[in-house]
Amino acid sequence: MGINLAVLVGVLVVATVVGLMLQRRNGTVRGGRSAEGGWQLADVAPEPADRVLLLQLSSPICTPCARTREQLESLAAEHPGVRHVEIDVADRPHVAKALHVLRTPTTVAFDRDGTELLRVGGVPRRTDLVAALPLEECR
Amino acid sequence: MTEQLDPRGVRFAAAVTTVVLAVVLLTGSGVLAALQAVVFAIPVAAGMRYSPYGALYRALLAPRLGPPSEREDAAPVRFSQAVGLVFTLVAAIGYLSGATVLGVVATAMALAAAFLNAAFGFCLGCEMYGLLGRVRTAR
Repeated sequence: MGINLAVLVGVLVVATVVGLMLQRRNGTVRGGRSAEGGWQLADVAPEPADRVLLLQLSSPICTPCARTREQLESLAAEHPGVRHVEIDVADRPHVAKALHVLRTPTTVAFDRDGTELLRVGGVPRRTDLVAALPLEECR
Repeated sequence: MTEQLDPRGVRFAAAVTTVVLAVVLLTGSGVLAALQAVVFAIPVAAGMRYSPYGALYRALLAPRLGPPSEREDAAPVRFSQAVGLVFTLVAAIGYLSGATVLGVVATAMALAAAFLNAAFGFCLGCEMYGLLGRVRTAR
């Protein structure tokens, strides 16, 4: 019983540490991995006014992907120069591979030249994302 | 239309599973591990609406909580139940055949996964489902 209890406590402690780490990472803006060619990966050409591309990698069955889509769509609607493109990694696995993305949703932001600015795994925290992006003031 | 689940019910089921697996670890009961394996096997075979813990949630808690603000797809959850089934089956076989170490290790892994889901809403099996979906389409 003593050993069993020790194993139980050990498992719960390790799982709690892992859970806290995952929770901290989830939705947090991280520095880019300096990927290139964002617009080609998104399969769109930048409009003259476009400054930032938010490329959202989603999968068909993924509840947080829908919440991420809502967030990014409203962000793009409020900020001129922000373009939101969502792709399905099941249709285009090469994009996930090229960007080393292992989970959905992941949002990778690119500048006008297609160079990665930052990335967010999970549903982005809106204020953090807005603060981290080079955005023009809302009109 | 695919089957949709109340995410709070999924977390409730993970919490009950966490308690059951903690008791398995404390008592070394192969019979209890086998019972938990049956609880996993029913929704895997028949669909999530037949999940015993899910039924418990709908009977006891759902009427008090009101309708959920969002729903999640059942397919990844069902897959995660299949992963749980494999681990608890190995645990039951381990404990009942005298290979106690096997039983402890399998139970500890299943417990860690159930706890991560219950405490942090992080479903390892569901993430695996997403990754496997990518592998399937990549081939």
